[in-house]
Amino acid sequence: MSNNALIQTIDLHKTYKTEAIETPALNGVDFTLHEREFTAVAGPSGSGKSTLLHLLGGLDRPTSGEIFLNGAAMSSLSKDQLSRLRLTRIGFVFQAYNLIPVLTVLENTAFVMELQGVVRRERIRRARAILTELGIEQYADQFPNRISGGEQQRVAVARAVVTEPSIVLADEPTANLDSKTSHELIGLMRRLNEDKGATFLFATHDRRLHDQVSRLLTLEDGRITQDQCR
Amino acid sequence: MKAAIRHLKRNRGRTILTLLAVLIPVYFLVFMFGFSNSIVSDMFETATRIDTGHFQVRHIERRGMGSAIPLMQDSESVLAALDEIDGVEWRTVRLDMPALASAADRSQTIYIQGVVPEEIAPISSIGDLVVEGTYLRNGQNGAVIGEELADLLNVGVGDEMALLCAHPETGLGVLKVPVVGIYQAPISAMGRTIIHTTLTTARQLARSPAATAVVVRVDDVEGPWDVGKIEAVTAQLTGSLPDELEVLDWRELAPQVSGYMRILQPAMIIFAAVFFGLGALVVLNTLYLSVMERTRELGLIISLGASRWRVIRMILTEAGLIAVIGAVYGALIGVALVWIVEAFGGIPLPGADLADYMKVVGMSPVLHMMISWPQVVVSAVTMVGVAILAAWFPAYRASKLEPVEAMRYVE
Repeated sequence: MSNNALIQTIDLHKTYKTEAIETPALNGVDFTLHEREFTAVAGPSGSGKSTLLHLLGGLDRPTSGEIFLNGAAMSSLSKDQLSRLRLTRIGFVFQAYNLIPVLTVLENTAFVMELQGVVRRERIRRARAILTELGIEQYADQFPNRISGGEQQRVAVARAVVTEPSIVLADEPTANLDSKTSHELIGLMRRLNEDKGATFLFATHDRRLHDQVSRLLTLEDGRITQDQCR
Repeated sequence: MKAAIRHLKRNRGRTILTLLAVLIPVYFLVFMFGFSNSIVSDMFETATRIDTGHFQVRHIERRGMGSAIPLMQDSESVLAALDEIDGVEWRTVRLDMPALASAADRSQTIYIQGVVPEEIAPISSIGDLVVEGTYLRNGQNGAVIGEELADLLNVGVGDEMALLCAHPETGLGVLKVPVVGIYQAPISAMGRTIIHTTLTTARQLARSPAATAVVVRVDDVEGPWDVGKIEAVTAQLTGSLPDELEVLDWRELAPQVSGYMRILQPAMIIFAAVFFGLGALVVLNTLYLSVMERTRELGLIISLGASRWRVIRMILTEAGLIAVIGAVYGALIGVALVWIVEAFGGIPLPGADLADYMKVVGMSPVLHMMISWPQVVVSAVTMVGVAILAAWFPAYRASKLEPVEAMRYVE
C-alpha cells in the first residue's frame, strides 16, 4: 500500500445468493484510493457501483477478498466495530431518503455528531457553520419535507462532511436531481474536496458529471474496466 | 427525546391507541382497587370495631375451654403497659362468654360481651347501632341486644330476660337483666347472638372479677394494609407481657375475614395481570408496526453508525414516554372517577335483595370507593414497566436490521 492510500481493495468479490440463484455483483475488484481524491465510480445500472460503495462503507461484507482502510483489514471487524467505523471514519450520502424526517435540517446535520457524543453546544455550532458554508443555513429549522430534493442532498452532504470523516461515500447522490442541481451538488462536493481536503468517492451513471472528477473508475459486470486520472 | 416526541406526534392515531393501551388498564385498576379497598376496609372495620379490635391480649391457656375464653385475672397491668406504648388509640377490658338467654318459654344461645360502656364507644359501633332504648351506662344492670334476638325471645326495651352462663373456670351463673336497648346489627347472625352488658353485670354472671381480654385499637389504621402499624404496637407490648398472656391480632380473631381478604388479593392480582397483559400486547403490536413503517429510517440511522443499543434506546424512549403519559393520565382519571363516585355518596347496590345480602355479610349496601395511593403508584409504575418490556421485542428487531436491506425496504 502506498503511503497515502486510504482504501485498498484486493480481489473483491460479492455474490448475492437466494435459494435458487447466485447473482455475482463484484468479480474481483482491485483498486487503491488515496487521500484527498475526488473519484467517481461510473457504470451502467447493475454494474456493481452501489455494492462496491456498501462494501467500502462497511454496510455489507464481501463474499471474498479484502478491504483495507488506512491499512487495517475490514473483514476482521465485528458488526459493532463496523458500526463504530462508519460513525467515526465514513460519511454517507445516499441516493434518496437521506434525512430523518422528524429532525430539522440543523438536527439532521448534527445527528452523527450526536451519535458520536459531541456536546450539544459544539455540535450545533459546527452544524450551523457547515450549513452556512454550503449556503443552506436559512433552512436550518425546516423539516426535510419542506425543502427541495437538491437542498435535501446538500444537507446530506453537510451531515457527511461535518464530522470530518476519512472518506465520504456517495451512492448516486444526483440520481433524483435535475441536471443543473446535479452539477451544483457535485460542484459543492468538489469545493469541499479542494477546500477541506475531504476525500470523496461517489457512484454515478450520469456521464455529464464525469468531467467534474479528478479520477474516474468505470465498472462493468463487477470489474473495473477503466481507471482514468484527469 | 425531542425526536421521540415528534415520532409520536407524526402518527397520532397509533400514538393514541398506544396511549389508551396504557391508560385504560391503569385507570380501570385504580377504579377497581377503589372498590376492593372499600370492601376490604368495610369488612375490616366491621370485624375490628364490633368484635375483635385490632388486637387483643388474652390468657394463653385455652385447653378444655370449648367456645369459652380463658379468664385473665390481672388485666390492669396490661392496661398500664398499653398506656406506656405509642400508637395505642384506645383500649378496654372485656369479659366475653357464651351463655343462654331466656324469656318466658323461649331461649337462644348467645355470646355476652361484658364491656365498660364509656370506654367501648370508640372500639365498638354497637352503641351507634341502637335503634330502640339506649346504650349502656357504666355500672348499669342491663343488656343491649340485637333486633333478631329481640324477635326470637319476643322481648322489648324494659322486658327482663334470664342469662345463664356456665364458664369452665367459674361454673354456673344465672342473672336476670332488663333489656335497655336494641341495636340493628350489620350482620344478622350478630344480631341473634351478640349482646352487650356492662363489665359489672358480666362479672356478676361469671362470679369472677376477671376479664377475658384487653381489646386494643391502634392509631391511624384504615385497613388491613396498615398491619405494620398494628405489628409495631404489638411488638412493643409482647416483651412486657407476663408468660401466661399472649397477643392475638385481628387475623387470628376473625379468621374468616382475613381468609376472604387472602382470596381477594390474588384475585385482584390476576385481574391486574390480565389487564397489564392486554395493554402490553397492544403496545407491542403498535410499536412493531411503527418499527416496520420506519424500516428505511432505522436503516439510515444504523448506516450512519448508530449502535444497536442506541436504536433499542430510541424505541424504548418512545415507549417509555407514551407509557408514562398514559399511566399518569390513567391514574388521574381513575382517581378522579373515585372522587366523583364518593362525591355522589357512593353507588347504591341495585335491588333490595342484593342490598340486604350485603348487610347480612356485614357490609354496606352502598358501594363506596377508597383510594390507596401506594396502589395507584404501583399500578401506574407497573404498567410503565410492562409497556417498556413489551417494547423490547420491536426495539430488539429494529436493532437487528441490516442497513442495506432496511434502506431498500419499500412499505
